[in-house]
Amino acid sequence: MSDTEGGVGVAAAMEIDEVGDRAAAIVRNVETVISGKREAVTAALTVLLAEGHLLIEDVPGVGKTMLAKALARSVDCTVSRIQFTPDLLPSDVTGVSVFDQVSRRFEFKPGPVFANIVIGDEINRASPKTQSALLECMEERQVTADGTTYHLEQPFTVVATQNPVEMEGTYPLPEAQRDRFMARISMGYPATADELAMLAQRETASPLDSLEPVVSLAELRAMIETVQRVFTSEPVKAYAVDLARATREDRQLRLGASPRATLQLIRAAKAHAAMHGRDFVLPDDVDALAVPVLAHRLVPTSRAVGGHDHDGGPLIDQIVRRIVGETPVPVGSARRE
Amino acid sequence: MGPDRYPLTRAQSLALSGASLLLLLVATTALGPLIAGSGWWWAGAVVAVAVIGGGAALRAVRTPPSLVPPLELVVMLLALTLLFAGGTSLALVIPTAETFAVFGELTEGARRTIEQQSVPAIPVPALVFAITVGVGLIAVFLDLLVQTVRVPALAAIPMLVPVLVPGLFLAEGADAPALVLTAAAYLLLLRVDVRVRRAAELVQEDDRDDAPVVSAPKRAPIVSTMGASLGLAAIGLVAASVIAAATPSVSTSFLVGTGGPATLFARGVSPYVDLGRDLRRPEPVPAFSYVSPEGERPYFTLLTIERLEGQVWSATDRAVDGDNTLGTLPGPDGLDDDVLVEPRPIAVQVDQVRTAWLPVPYPTTEVSGVSGSWFWDQGTLNVRSVDSTTLGQQYRLTHLDVRPDVTQLRSAPVPSPGAVADATRRLPEDVPPIIAETAAAVTASAPTRYDAAVAIQAYLRGSDFEYSESAPVAEGYDGAGFDAIAAFLEQGAGYCVHFASTMAVLAREVGIPSRISIGYTAGTPGDGRVDDQIVIEVDSHDLHAWPELYFEGVGWVPFEPTPGRGSVPDYSRPNAGQTAPGVVPTGPAATPGATGRPEGDPDRALGGPGGTASAGAQAAQLGLIGLAVTLVLLLPAMIRIGVRAARRGGIRSGERPADAAWRELLATAVDLGLPVDPRRTVRGLAAELAERPAFRADPESPPGERVEARAALERVRDAVERERYGRVRGRDAAVDAESVAPAGAEDLERARRSALAADLEASSDALRADAPAVRRVAAVLLPGSLRPSARVAFGRPAPPGE
Repeated sequence: MSDTEGGVGVAAAMEIDEVGDRAAAIVRNVETVISGKREAVTAALTVLLAEGHLLIEDVPGVGKTMLAKALARSVDCTVSRIQFTPDLLPSDVTGVSVFDQVSRRFEFKPGPVFANIVIGDEINRASPKTQSALLECMEERQVTADGTTYHLEQPFTVVATQNPVEMEGTYPLPEAQRDRFMARISMGYPATADELAMLAQRETASPLDSLEPVVSLAELRAMIETVQRVFTSEPVKAYAVDLARATREDRQLRLGASPRATLQLIRAAKAHAAMHGRDFVLPDDVDALAVPVLAHRLVPTSRAVGGHDHDGGPLIDQIVRRIVGETPVPVGSARRE
Repeated sequence: MGPDRYPLTRAQSLALSGASLLLLLVATTALGPLIAGSGWWWAGAVVAVAVIGGGAALRAVRTPPSLVPPLELVVMLLALTLLFAGGTSLALVIPTAETFAVFGELTEGARRTIEQQSVPAIPVPALVFAITVGVGLIAVFLDLLVQTVRVPALAAIPMLVPVLVPGLFLAEGADAPALVLTAAAYLLLLRVDVRVRRAAELVQEDDRDDAPVVSAPKRAPIVSTMGASLGLAAIGLVAASVIAAATPSVSTSFLVGTGGPATLFARGVSPYVDLGRDLRRPEPVPAFSYVSPEGERPYFTLLTIERLEGQVWSATDRAVDGDNTLGTLPGPDGLDDDVLVEPRPIAVQVDQVRTAWLPVPYPTTEVSGVSGSWFWDQGTLNVRSVDSTTLGQQYRLTHLDVRPDVTQLRSAPVPSPGAVADATRRLPEDVPPIIAETAAAVTASAPTRYDAAVAIQAYLRGSDFEYSESAPVAEGYDGAGFDAIAAFLEQGAGYCVHFASTMAVLAREVGIPSRISIGYTAGTPGDGRVDDQIVIEVDSHDLHAWPELYFEGVGWVPFEPTPGRGSVPDYSRPNAGQTAPGVVPTGPAATPGATGRPEGDPDRALGGPGGTASAGAQAAQLGLIGLAVTLVLLLPAMIRIGVRAARRGGIRSGERPADAAWRELLATAVDLGLPVDPRRTVRGLAAELAERPAFRADPESPPGERVEARAALERVRDAVERERYGRVRGRDAAVDAESVAPAGAEDLERARRSALAADLEASSDALRADAPAVRRVAAVLLPGSLRPSARVAFGRPAPPGE
């Protein structure tokens, strides 16, 4: 523990305060495009720093794709975008081997998934088969084609957007696949003032065009490295486990949080702590991320759903908030010297 | 008070109010043995109903909780006005300046009556007023605890007052049924409280499906109620035993007292010692003056001592009989018609003596003109008050000049068994032998009881004894116990106290019922005249004690065994003429002589509550009881101070200084009644506290300017977060320490800890600064952070090293 004390001194990492500063710079940058959505922007960045994948779920036209693009542009890294359609094939995502007439060999043409940030637009419009192909990449961080394994470059983050499942022409993501996303956020409609500002801003051109990267790829990697070194004390880990356990035992939930959810909750909390310039995780970090990280993995009982939206979105959020409120915060001590 | 504070419905609030009212009314009955009748209880009940009912009504109309107790005090004032000063008020309940004057008089009267009455006390208006005020204040306090602070378990504290007070005056304490009923009412209150809490929780659970809100812990309140109840029961028991242990000699004479002379000679201080001490004072003080149209000059009795037992002789423990009001008194015991008796009117003007005992000659048949509530005592015909003093009294009396002749006395038969109080015949078994021997020797040749009495008087007035106020003190037998009498018989020197008590004891030895009267000799003619009558001045020089012996058919007749004092009655000198008045006046010749004249200050000596010795003793008792009660009331505050000191020690030298600082800060917040939810994070709680006005920047100040208190609060927050969840303790200090010597690391650590302590102070001060004064006082006296339910919020450190 002493060699990494304070999370400093390792070449690839970054001072914790600097992580906070850079994160703030990214958030500011994104907010020039999407105003009034601090929470969504922060959650998205948290997922990026925690090397997770983000699912943005909302009705069309509230800026899901804009957020994903703005985030990608703020970091100087490779970005690709896949517009999912019902006829999209798995190879359209992962890449395809084509026969090179010259070399007389099959050559792998990497698909759009070979990028640091992959924007999967309207992921639930694709067929389950194609969805699976992407989700496999997300989990494995590699692509296997014709017996050859191609590793994806770090960092690799998928920012998928989807419309609410009851919209026409959608294939709902199964629970198992939703579980692959570290967090799900929704944008919500903008406030009146923000909407007016948006109108003024976009009258002439897309503001995305003028968006400049504020963090280089190397810096992003250093930030991610630092996030991984953020310290999580035993009480906080126990707290995360308590929360997950509470979701499994809650009488309003049919499906609780998986152990993977617990793991991702802690990872996200580490990123959240680092973004606030802290080299240790607080229960507050866990609390702040409980809804985005846990809610999309949980399935309410039909009784609890009664009277609510079919997908139970807001209901699930409420249940998670209630569980967070009811679970006692640990008053433990840190590890002794 | 946080987690277990639900908004109550009106019905629930009413149920709590009803239970507290019941508890108060039942507990008040525990005072029953102290006060005669039941009118006082009804008065108290009216005020209790007004206060608690008024409080309930105020809450029903959504009055801010902090305003309810002050408004209840107003309601109490209105009720008191209605009950006690309706005539001086506007519309019966609105007090005027005159009302407060009446209240002032009642308070003064209550003070006096509490000092002067015995148990059971007669409920004179002043006493009822005092009880009613007390009940009203307890009602306000009770309502505050039950409804505002929402800690019904603490209701036991105010209930200790009516329950414990009887124990101070009565050996057996309050009635067992009253105690049992009070306990039952208390449990009922707790039960109602638990039900209310459960109902509130159920409501919240029902809400949960629709609008999940942060819900309350489910078991903690009940556990805390039980814990608090047990704790309070323990405190009550300890307090009761402390008071009992601390006031063994107080218990029968303090305040209301049980013995007749309790007031004059409270706390068992011998009247004789007081009398002697005051006889030795140099400056005479006028006591009273009187005019006797027929020139009669009797001894004036203040009180009569019948019981000669133990180290302290006292008047018979006889409660004031409320039926024995003035002005006609019964005829004296044992007086037959054939004894020459002449009624004599006397007008008395009291100057400076202040006592609850009215100076009247024995036997007096009529007293008129005294103000206050005065009662005569069966047998001794002493006249005493329960609510006023002699000071400034002007009254007229008629007293019987009893002039028996020697033959009648000599032929008096053995008194029949029921003729006089047993106490006047009884002698303890361990009387020193010299007393019996002396009695036998002195009366050996006396053929009759009368002759024996005359012989004893002659013996004491003889050359074997001399009057000395200093000898007994010097030789260590001052006072009136049997040991003192034995010493007096051996030494042969003493003053009136010794002569009187010795004669009384010797008389009992030979079978004559006897008692000792304390009062004044006849006094000295002064310069003044009223209606051509010489005004006779009685001053402190005339303070005296004398024996009275009982002869069947004649009654109690005084003797004068003290040489140089008073006058020897004619009937006690069988060889002289016997037609003179019973008590021959002494003239100015009785002024101080070589040995014969006491000098003193009876005004102080028998000044009752105003007197130095007894007043001092009483003040000491009051102080003791006050101290004990204060200690009990301050117990929570003291525990809180101890806890705070322990936490400060933790900040200075503990393993987890920031944790100690944080818990202390939260405890302060809980004390001040701020909500502290145990399930919230450090950061969340800090953010909530930071919302308090004292932590916010002045709206006028430039944006971004930070209030120092807020910065301090955030530093404490960061420290505790780092300590609880950070990588290692004191990382910053450790990093900094690398650049300085190892010795510097310790200094840094110390500096860090003292900075933490300073930040804690700054944040706590800011919290206090925000709170209203009432809250601050409550935070000191009834710190909510001591409640078990509150302690779990911040007082439970996880096992270290996990």
